[in-house]
Amino acid sequence: MVPIQYNARSLLVRKVTSLATAGGIALVVFVFAAALMLGEGVKHALTTAGRADTVIILRKGSDAELSSAIGNDYIGLFRGPAQVSQAGGVIGEIVVVITAERAGATGVSNVLVRGTPPDGIAFRPEIKITSGRAPRPGTSEVIVGKGISGRFKGIAPGGSFELRRNRPLQVVGEFTADGSSYESEVWGDLDVIRNALGREAVVSSVRVRLNRPADFDAYRQTIETDKRFSMKVMREADYYEKQSQATSGFLKGIGLAVAIMFSLAAMIGAAITMNGAVAHRTREIGTLRALGFSRRAILTSFVLEAIVLAIAGGVIGSVLVLLLSSVSFPVLNFQTFSEIVIRFRATPAVFAWSLGFSAFMGLAGGLFPAIRASRVSPVEAMRG
Amino acid sequence: MSETSQMSETSTTSDKAGHPVRGQSRSIVKLSGIAKTFYRGSEPIQVLDGLDLDVPDGSFEALMGPSGSGKSTLLNIIAGLDRPTGGTVIVADADLTRMSDGQLAKWRSQTIGFVFQSFNLIPVLTAAQNVELPLLLTSLSRSQRAKHVATAMRIVGLEDRMHHYPRQLSGGQEQRVAIARAIVNDPKIIVADEPTGDLDRKSADDVLTLMERLNKEMNKTIFMVTHDPAAAERAGVRRKLDKGALQ
Amino acid sequence: MNLATYARANLFRRRGRAILTVMAVTVAVLIFCLIRTAVVAWNAGADEAATDRLSTRHKVSITMSLPKRYIDEIRQVPDVKAATWASWFGAKDPKERIPFFAGFAVDHESWFDVLDEMKVPADQLATWKQTPDGAILGDLLARNLGVKVGDRLVITSDIYPGDWPLTVVGIYTPLRKTADRNTLVFRWDHVNNDPRAVYSRDKIGWMVSRITDSVHSADISRKIDAKFEEHDDQTLTMSERAFQLSFLGGFTAVLGAFDLVSLVILLIMTLILANTIAMSVRERTHEYGVLRAIGFPPGHILGFILGEALLIALVGGLVGVALVIGVINHGLGPFMEENMTGFFPYFRAPASVLLLALGASVGLGVVAGAIPAVLASRLKVTDALRRVD
Repeated sequence: MVPIQYNARSLLVRKVTSLATAGGIALVVFVFAAALMLGEGVKHALTTAGRADTVIILRKGSDAELSSAIGNDYIGLFRGPAQVSQAGGVIGEIVVVITAERAGATGVSNVLVRGTPPDGIAFRPEIKITSGRAPRPGTSEVIVGKGISGRFKGIAPGGSFELRRNRPLQVVGEFTADGSSYESEVWGDLDVIRNALGREAVVSSVRVRLNRPADFDAYRQTIETDKRFSMKVMREADYYEKQSQATSGFLKGIGLAVAIMFSLAAMIGAAITMNGAVAHRTREIGTLRALGFSRRAILTSFVLEAIVLAIAGGVIGSVLVLLLSSVSFPVLNFQTFSEIVIRFRATPAVFAWSLGFSAFMGLAGGLFPAIRASRVSPVEAMRG
Repeated sequence: MSETSQMSETSTTSDKAGHPVRGQSRSIVKLSGIAKTFYRGSEPIQVLDGLDLDVPDGSFEALMGPSGSGKSTLLNIIAGLDRPTGGTVIVADADLTRMSDGQLAKWRSQTIGFVFQSFNLIPVLTAAQNVELPLLLTSLSRSQRAKHVATAMRIVGLEDRMHHYPRQLSGGQEQRVAIARAIVNDPKIIVADEPTGDLDRKSADDVLTLMERLNKEMNKTIFMVTHDPAAAERAGVRRKLDKGALQ
Repeated sequence: MNLATYARANLFRRRGRAILTVMAVTVAVLIFCLIRTAVVAWNAGADEAATDRLSTRHKVSITMSLPKRYIDEIRQVPDVKAATWASWFGAKDPKERIPFFAGFAVDHESWFDVLDEMKVPADQLATWKQTPDGAILGDLLARNLGVKVGDRLVITSDIYPGDWPLTVVGIYTPLRKTADRNTLVFRWDHVNNDPRAVYSRDKIGWMVSRITDSVHSADISRKIDAKFEEHDDQTLTMSERAFQLSFLGGFTAVLGAFDLVSLVILLIMTLILANTIAMSVRERTHEYGVLRAIGFPPGHILGFILGEALLIALVGGLVGVALVIGVINHGLGPFMEENMTGFFPYFRAPASVLLLALGASVGLGVVAGAIPAVLASRLKVTDALRRVD
């Protein structure tokens, strides 16, 4: 004669408790994974451009393309050594940041402009023109990277902006570069750009393609010891790695700090739930003990229950965070103070870490309740 | 077993002072054509079907019957805890079927005192605080409430345990505190569901003696559901409910 | 006894659970206030920036220089009370005691007149005028580099080759909370006269001017830029506040993420609260049935449950706010203010944030308790009595 509602309601409430706890953990994992994805995104953006067989040459003492200056004449000398791939090429580029007005918001920001020689685009096979066309060498035509296209007044396909008084540039196309930081740059002709800025016969950096990555040490030795100039030679990948550290560290650091603080709350939540489960099932546990199950078996079982609940939350959070995959995140590159657009990037490592983190939360939250459970004596089975 | 299943409304005989003589007084509970259907899933189960009941004012009634016969259901209907699927329920001159849930709650607080099998005292409150609970629904002042509580506790013989917590009392003592709670509002009817079910013989006797006193000295109508033959013995009227029909 | 007594007594029924829940609310409030304080502090930088000081730089790029003679022209603008200039040096510490600090070559005669939030003793300023390689440091920077007045200090540059030895002639102290304390300034003419600076001879990086009428800073900025409109090197002038706001604009995404994240912690807190309340309601359903039988109307039951929820949330909120005041305002705050002056000149949890946190915890306590409370009060008395949980 007992109405069915009684059973249904009891079960429902139990499900609600589990859902609430898993939900809390899911949210923490969401924040945690998002922070990791942001860090991965920054790393990807700033390092994809780097190849193992390419070196970048800067003036000694400079840490970045922006502050380096190399006389044009030296480019020929860099081409000389045997390690240089004659087919691959050597290019010198000028890199500047210009002040640009934001589109759709007040204020100005910095945009990175790269003046590149005619073979500059081909030097990077990952560059794809996704809209419009490539700029004609020797003209004031430029292309804009997909990341910043449209974010600044006039810097979008079909638009134009003034590099300097009476020196307008026309944006004839948009390009992608496999998600690297190039996508947050504007590219144009080397001579047009440096002449407009009064830096004729100077480049910021020189990139050299070597025959094999192993040739790096020999090449660096040759160039850095040459008495005619003072240069610094780095693998492109290493250069970008250093560039990304400040920004990536900042974002990842903040994100992880937040996630770890959050996890404290989630662990308390897990502890509350598991404590309640233990209190509710005292007679059950007593029965198991009476039947012969050891304390350790009870402890393990409750810890596992907590971990499984937490991992369920971790999976939910990981699935949710995938929604961020398409979201763009503009930040300031601390090295150049120009805007770069990062995309959240999911990697297997992110998920492995997320699930591991959720399991840890389950373990930490469920440990003390599990210890309590293991202390229940078989006598409890008899209690009414 | 049953002495009467229907009480006719004969003329009331009074003694010289004009008080109604017991045995021929008016009905405090009048049920007509009571039906109650429960649903297990979509399958209907007819627990009560066309039941009539008259309980005279001041009666001490025991209702017995096998488990599943509908005793508790009947009790719930009389106490205003549940509504019948059909029929009329008049208790203490109130037509329960016409009252809303809110009105029923108020009516219960004034008219019915409950005694449960498992005592149902609130563990985090003292005996006195438990007894005071029904008074919180009235507009009595704190000192007035305290007086009523003291009186009730005296009647059940536990004034020296007023500030004990339920866990510090024996089963019999807990049930007596529960009875004190049941009478503190001076209700007309005491409804008891297996009051001695969780007690040993001695405590059960004490509780039943107490209930007899409440009935004889304070003129409270008692409607008790029980399995216990000893408890049924103490009642003035014994009824049996079997398969939804009163005998 | 009254209903409040009952509510309070119930709170201690399961003391462990009550304590854990209060802890969870406290942690959530602490985190919420930390995040919101960071956002407020970040924006405060702009609020404190001056509107009576304008910054003029090359219109095309911050990295391009202006001719030195521009300073004479800007000083002729009637609204300009005083003007000075500086050039970026890209200063680095060769011993790498600190990774990064700001180093400028400035006009020693006017710099501290215009940048009057930094105080330099008059005698030190006089010495500076006599010492071509003299340098003045912010007090925090001097402490971090371990130098005092009279010491020799060698720095290197991102832009110019070689070592640049300087003499420390002064240390400036801040007159305002938001004043920077980590900058090194030395004489522009000392750099300009050096043969290594051949490419930047007679060029300056930017100009800072103090104006009389801060209300019309935008108009005056336009007037200044108009003066140089026809030259090859055009200028971009903005009040310092306008520049700060521009700078902050690059972080809208980060700040938006912070806002979102502060909501997430509140959501987590609500889930934990709701969980606790649902659990205790389920355990006490039978008891609520008894109270209903005695005659307590459903509304009272609702009130009991919501009251308990409110009590836990309130206690957690108050403890959390107390911790915030202790941890942030007396611990983390001063630390941030000293070490990250550039980003966080003020790092204190304002009363508005504290009140918001308290209000949120109480409000969400009610929300968390609402569903279990409504379900419990709607339960039929007979069903509640049957519940044996």
